[in-house]
Amino acid sequence: MEDFLYFFSFQDSSILFIVMGITLLGIGSAYVGTFSFLDNKALLGDAISHAVLPGICLGFILAGEKNPFYIVGGAIFSGALATFLSSWLKENTKLSEDSIIAVILSVFFGFGIVLLTMIQKTGNPEMAGLNQFIFGNAIGILEEDLWVYGSLSLLIILTLSLLLKEFSLLVFNAEYGKAIGFPMKGIRVVFNILMILSVVIGIQAIGVVLMAALLITPGAAARFWTDRLGTLLILAALFAIISGIVGTYISFIIPQMPTGPWVVVSLSTLALISFLFAPKKGVLFRFISRQSYLKKTHKEHVLKSLYKAMEKQKSGLQIQELLSMYPVHKTETLKSIKTLNKINQLTVKEGFIELNESGKKEAKRIVRLHRLWELYLNEYMNIAPDHVHDSAEKLEHLITPELEELLDNRLNYPKLDPHQENIPRDHDDH
Amino acid sequence: MIQQVENPILEIHDLTVSYDQSPVLWNVDLSLPEGKLIGILGPNGAGKSTLIKAIMGLVQASGGYVKIFDKDLDQVRNRISYVPQRESVDWNFPASVLDVVLMGTYGKLGLFKRPGKKEKELAHSCLEKVGMSAFASRQISELSGGQQQRVFIARALAQEADLYLMDEPFAGVDMATETAIFQLLQEMSKEGKTIVVVHHDIHSAMSYFEWIIMLNLHLVASGPKQEVVSEELLRKTYGGKLNLLTKVTDLIRKKEFNPLKN
Repeated sequence: MEDFLYFFSFQDSSILFIVMGITLLGIGSAYVGTFSFLDNKALLGDAISHAVLPGICLGFILAGEKNPFYIVGGAIFSGALATFLSSWLKENTKLSEDSIIAVILSVFFGFGIVLLTMIQKTGNPEMAGLNQFIFGNAIGILEEDLWVYGSLSLLIILTLSLLLKEFSLLVFNAEYGKAIGFPMKGIRVVFNILMILSVVIGIQAIGVVLMAALLITPGAAARFWTDRLGTLLILAALFAIISGIVGTYISFIIPQMPTGPWVVVSLSTLALISFLFAPKKGVLFRFISRQSYLKKTHKEHVLKSLYKAMEKQKSGLQIQELLSMYPVHKTETLKSIKTLNKINQLTVKEGFIELNESGKKEAKRIVRLHRLWELYLNEYMNIAPDHVHDSAEKLEHLITPELEELLDNRLNYPKLDPHQENIPRDHDDH
Repeated sequence: MIQQVENPILEIHDLTVSYDQSPVLWNVDLSLPEGKLIGILGPNGAGKSTLIKAIMGLVQASGGYVKIFDKDLDQVRNRISYVPQRESVDWNFPASVLDVVLMGTYGKLGLFKRPGKKEKELAHSCLEKVGMSAFASRQISELSGGQQQRVFIARALAQEADLYLMDEPFAGVDMATETAIFQLLQEMSKEGKTIVVVHHDIHSAMSYFEWIIMLNLHLVASGPKQEVVSEELLRKTYGGKLNLLTKVTDLIRKKEFNPLKN
C-alpha cells in the first residue's frame, strides 16, 4: 500500500517521468498498431519488433556503451532493413506473406541473439542493461533515454494525427487513393516508418519479444466496443496506457521484474474483458440475446398449440397434453406457461390451460405469420406444400410487422395457406 | 466495327496490358465521344476491369498510351472519377457512410487538410442524389450490397468530375437500386458528363447505353449502339476466347522474363 501511494502520488519525479513516457509510448504504439490491425497486417509488427534486436546489439558494439542514440539508430536501421526485405521478397518471389514474415522474424532475431551472446562473452560491464531489451524494464530507463523515446512517441502521434485521412484511405481503399492522385506508395512508406519507430520506442520499456502485443492487442480489444475510428483510437490508446502503467508499477514494486510480460498480462485481461462483456459483439451479450430469443420461441410455441387446439373446437389443453407435444423442452414449456399466466395471456385451472383474450390475439399473430410464410414459399418460390413447414417454424418468430404487411400485400390478403388451413386475423369470429 | 471520333474525351492508343507478364488486353485502340453513357461489355476475364484500371493508371500498361481531355492522366486527375468494384474493399472498416462519401472530396482537398463544413454539405447532397441521406451516420458494415454500391457512387459524385469510370456498379444490386442508379447516370449524361460503365448483363446493356465497347482480350467493337450490336460482333465477343490468342498468352507466360516489356 505504501508502495502504491508512493508510486501513484508521483512525489518521485523520476517515476512521474517514466509514467509520462509510458503514456506517450502507449498512445503512439496503440495508434500505429490499430491501423496495422485494421489493415490485417498484425504479424508485420511482430516481425519488425523481433528484427530490431541485431540493430540494438550493433549499436551497442559500435558505441561500446548503452548510448540511446546508437541503440535507437541501430534499431531503426535493422527494422527498416527487415521491412524493406519483406516487401522486396513479396514483390520478387512467389513466397506467401506469412512465410516471408516467419523467415524475416526468425533470421533477424536469431542473428540478434548471436550478437547478444558475443557481447556477453566480452565481459563489458555495461552489458547488464542490454538484457532488458529482450523483455523490457520501464523502471530502469534513464532520464536521458526517456527524452529520446518520449520525443519519438510525440513525433509518431503528431504524424498520425496529421495523416489520419490518408492512412484511413490506405487501409480502406488504397486503389481509390491512387486513382485520385494521392501518393499511396509514399504514404505506405511513411506508415512503415511509423511502425518501425513505434517498435523502437518500446524496446526498452516492453522489450523486443513482446512489443507486438502492445501494438496489436489494444486495437483488437477496442474493436469489440466501437465501430467508429475516432473512438477506436482513443479506446486503444487508453488500454495501452493502463496496461503500460500497470506493468511499470509491478516492475517498481518487484525489483528485477521485467515490464513487458506484465504489460501483456494486463492487456490480455482487458482484451478478455472486451471479448466477454462488450455490448453487441461480446460473448455474454450474444449469449443473453440468444437465450431471450429461445425463451420467446418457447412461449410462442405454447400459444400456437393452444390456438390450434381451439381450431379443433377444444376450449384448451391439459398441461400433460401440451408437455407431450414438446417432449425435449418440458422444463422450458412449463416455464413459458408460468410466464404467460403471469402476463395474463392464459389461465391455468386445475391443470387445464385456456387462452385469454390478449393471448388469443398474440397466438393468432404467430399462426398467421407461419401460414403467410408457407403461402409465400409455395407461391413465390415454387416450394411444394409439404416442404414449407420447417422454414415457417423458424420465420414465425422473426417476421416484423412491416414484413408482415409486405407479405400480406404481395399475397393479396389471402384467406388460406397451402394446406387449406385458415389464416387467422384479428377481426375473425373465434 | 470500331468507330473513332473527332475531339474525343478519351483516347486509347494501342494499349496492351499484362499481369505477371501474360497479356490480358491486346492493342486496344479506341476513342470516345463526350457526354455519352458508355458501356463496356464482354465475358468474364475479357479484360473489362483491366481496361478501366489501365485508364486510371492503376495497372501498368506494357505498351500504348491513354489521353484524357487530350492530356496526360496526371494533369486531369481531378476531372475524372473512379468507382472501384464493391468487393475490392473491406466493409468492416470502422467508418460511417458519410466518412466514405467524404473521401470523394479528398482529391481536391489534397494531403493533410481535413474535410470541413463545405465538404460535408457536398457529401450530404451527393448522398441525397443516390437516396441514402437517411444512412449518413450508419456504419458501413451494416449496409446491403445495393446500399454499398450507392455509397460508392455518392463518393464518385462528390469528386464533381466530368468523366466517370465505373467498375460493375450494377453487380449484386437489387432491381430497384439498378433502376435508380441508371436514372441517375442518365441525368448526369444529360448534364454533359461522360460515364463509362463496366457491365455484365447484355440484355439491360442494350437499353442502358448509347455507345458500346465490346471486349474479349482484344477490342471487338466500339461505336453507337445501333451500329455495333450485330449478331456477328456479339458472337465474336461472347463466343469463347480466341484459341490462338490464348495459346500465345500461354507461350509468353512460360518465358522466364517478360518479352513484351519495352
